Amino acid sequence: MPEDFNDNKTIQAQSSETMGGGGGAVTPDKDYVRPAEVSDQDLYHGHSFITKWVFCQDAKVIGVQYFLLATFTGIVGLILSWLMRLQLGFPELASFMTAEHYYQFVTMHGMIMVVYFLTALFLGGFGNYLIPLMCGARDMVFPYVNMISFWMFFVAVGVLMASFFVPGGPTGSGWTLYPPQAILEGTPGSGMGIILMLVSLALFVIGFTMGGLNYLITVLQARTRGMTLMRMPLTVWGIFTATVLAMLAFPALLVSAIMMTLDKILGTSFFMPTILQAGEVLDYSGGSPILFQHLFWFFGHPEVYIVALPAFGIVSDLISVHSRKNIFGYRMMVWAIVGIGALSFFVWAHHMYVSGMNPWFGFFFATTTLIIAVPTAMKVYNWILTLWRGNIRINTVMLWCLGFIVTFVNGGITGIFLGNVTVDVPLSDTYFVIAHFHMVMGIAPLMVIMGAVYHWFPLVAGRMLSEKLGKWHFWFTFLGAYSIYFPMHYLGFIGVPRRYFEMYDSPYITSAVGMNEFISTAAFIVGAAQFILIYNIIVSLKMGKPAGKNPWKANSLEWHTSTVPPEHGNFGDKLPVVHRWPYDFSVPGAKEDFIPQTTPPSEVIHTKIEKT
Amino acid sequence: MSDPKIEGYEFKPGFRGMADDTGSDQTMFKGVHWGKAMMWIFLLSDTFVFSCFLISYMKGRGSTPVEWPNASEVFGLHVFGVEVPLLLIAIMTFVLITSSGTMALAVKYGYEKNRKMCGWLILATAVGGLIFVGMQAFEWSKLISEGVRPWENPFGAPQFGGFFFMITGFHGTHVSIGVIFLFIYAYKTFAGHYDERKRGWFTTMKGDYVEIEILGLYWHFVDLVWVFIFAFFYLW
Amino acid sequence: MDETNKKEQTTTHKIGIYLWIWGLLFVLSFFSYMVDWYQFQGMLRWSLILIFMFLKAGLIMAFFMHLFWERYALVNVLLWPMTAIGCFIFLMAAEFKYTLFTRIFYFFIGGG
Repeated sequence: MPEDFNDNKTIQAQSSETMGGGGGAVTPDKDYVRPAEVSDQDLYHGHSFITKWVFCQDAKVIGVQYFLLATFTGIVGLILSWLMRLQLGFPELASFMTAEHYYQFVTMHGMIMVVYFLTALFLGGFGNYLIPLMCGARDMVFPYVNMISFWMFFVAVGVLMASFFVPGGPTGSGWTLYPPQAILEGTPGSGMGIILMLVSLALFVIGFTMGGLNYLITVLQARTRGMTLMRMPLTVWGIFTATVLAMLAFPALLVSAIMMTLDKILGTSFFMPTILQAGEVLDYSGGSPILFQHLFWFFGHPEVYIVALPAFGIVSDLISVHSRKNIFGYRMMVWAIVGIGALSFFVWAHHMYVSGMNPWFGFFFATTTLIIAVPTAMKVYNWILTLWRGNIRINTVMLWCLGFIVTFVNGGITGIFLGNVTVDVPLSDTYFVIAHFHMVMGIAPLMVIMGAVYHWFPLVAGRMLSEKLGKWHFWFTFLGAYSIYFPMHYLGFIGVPRRYFEMYDSPYITSAVGMNEFISTAAFIVGAAQFILIYNIIVSLKMGKPAGKNPWKANSLEWHTSTVPPEHGNFGDKLPVVHRWPYDFSVPGAKEDFIPQTTPPSEVIHTKIEKT
Repeated sequence: MSDPKIEGYEFKPGFRGMADDTGSDQTMFKGVHWGKAMMWIFLLSDTFVFSCFLISYMKGRGSTPVEWPNASEVFGLHVFGVEVPLLLIAIMTFVLITSSGTMALAVKYGYEKNRKMCGWLILATAVGGLIFVGMQAFEWSKLISEGVRPWENPFGAPQFGGFFFMITGFHGTHVSIGVIFLFIYAYKTFAGHYDERKRGWFTTMKGDYVEIEILGLYWHFVDLVWVFIFAFFYLW
Repeated sequence: MDETNKKEQTTTHKIGIYLWIWGLLFVLSFFSYMVDWYQFQGMLRWSLILIFMFLKAGLIMAFFMHLFWERYALVNVLLWPMTAIGCFIFLMAAEFKYTLFTRIFYFFIGGG
């Protein structure tokens, strides 16, 4: 009816989150937000080069430091993967590589990529930069400890890289470091290599505990006026939940690392049973290798969600901004993230179906594993429903998001195969598993990282990245990554085992030779294509189009700072006041297709709604 | 301490209040200093560390077919010709619980701005911690002299020593770190840093008696872990 | 961060409550010690140990660590994660029983 559309009244944006500041505030003023509970933060401003750029307490600088160091370790991991693929695809060219070297590359590649690259990048890199900004805080609550956390990570990386240079080289036990082999002769690096790995992990855990405390308390206790938990961007929810997981899962890794170190150094028998080494009975007795596996995977499974959840959160925001549409089902997306996080502590032994653990455990863990698939799948539906009938911009960021959805669905489905005990028995320790976890943990989160870089580079650097180079980067990476990992599923089906240096002329695997060559070639090309991004970044820093404020016309607070790039203290003299959620895109009746979080209801510019 | 007064916010009790607090803006834990919230989450993480240690101990002890040493004999003391089981441990428990009590009192007097009582009670706590660590060191040396090693011992299953030294070692380290901080905070209290609101070195925030409460939480946690170690390792 | 709340709360508890809790803890510790002195065995021993342990832990957390007076948000955030530990304990108990069984079955009885 025409009289429903009254031009003189301001319109209500569709979010239910626009009234007051929550809890107890009852007032007719629709722009009212509760006053600040705590007075403004005093920041420590560095004055020398060292205190401004090295031992800097600004979370944004720390975030960039984490990003750079994590990327450096990622490049090391990438080179290791090239060496592995060289051996697997073209062994005649890899004659310099012994089996010991190969296993060391496998181990270091895995540990670096999972822990030192992905976890550090998402939590330390994106977390540090975005959490204070998106919550409307000036910085983390404890900047000094935040600064120390980065330097702990730095030392941890140093110790890890040092293991390449010690006698015996780095450990070759697989990133899972299973005893008893990890500390016995016959496994490469069973001397100093494993010790340095364990020490490095312990340092990493201590550092990330310090950082994690900051991220959690900043989100819980340092949000700005009007910012309720349900008005936070999903990026923050993803990183926040991942940090909760980190705080609760890393202890198990720390404990297992300490116990294995003692087994090696002091000859304790926590994990070491009575055992023969090259015919000689060792002094150990009574220990239990499976205890290590339980401890490791009690950490290890939440760890993979620590990698995945920030990706889920970030991609939700990227899709929303670049399709000019609110995320579909925001509340359920939040509950899904929280639910996945909580459930992730109850599924760990699906990594242990063939370990010889108590046989009844398979029932329990297969059940919980299939349950955890439900909220995960729901998130995929919601991403697609967000895109549905959206005003989609097919720019580089959106391409990465679409690539994420495709690869994550692929990897997630193969996870259902592996989550069932009977199906896992023939597939375990084959290339099927490698294909699965690279899809869900390697490719999909990597797509999100790339999308996030293209999305937030304009904020961090004040310049846009080249779209043209970005699209080349995307297509090489997406098609190339699919070429690497899709065929690997078939290798797994025919039974090609993982962590094998070579196939030893086994007749049934001769069919895999051509496939391995293809995969290796693709791997070299994709790896090389990443340098397109590095070139893009370096060139755009100087010659990119100036971004100005809020080039993507987004709503969340990081785009509404006093300067671009944001200065120390983020928001200038006055902290922002939040009146709505960050997903007011294409609101019917609003003139602009976005309404920033700081816009009070009385200032929303409306327009005549056209009836279609 | 009753619910703090916050302008524009009405406190509700129980789960209703929890839902309102969680759904409100700015903070989830109303009236809780960020440092206190941070210490609590750190303690939650540390709880998981000690839980993993104790779970590993349970698994290790439960799965060995070899007889586990009898704790009341191994940790007994021979005093005045009488074999008293677990005497040293009982005294250590008493000392640590008392130090927890003095710490709680220190927090109370701190909030009442009674600088002298607060400072003396913190010192008493620190002394209690020192006594505990001293007794733990004595216990270690006694056992080592009797042949208990991380890799073997004359009393029973060879893993006993490994678990014992590792778990009590980690606990003792936590106590020692606490003692160091207690001495530092006792000094700061007597020097009036919390009355003058002197800015801290690490946080650059103005000094506040809440820091005593935060340290108190850590100290009570150390006592809490001892309750569990006492029950599972010495008594079980 | 100058984080003093806008209105400072200064209400503290009376000294009596601290002495009561300390006394209770002492009594519970004494009872725990008696479990060993009187050499109770089996289920009685273990259940008494656990009961006294949880009572002491509860008193320390509720009163010394102030959780009894804190708002529910804090209490629940701290206590619910212990369910993950509970699950871990339960499963590792099953695991150690299984490990012991396999050792006795294969090494002592001679296997099947």
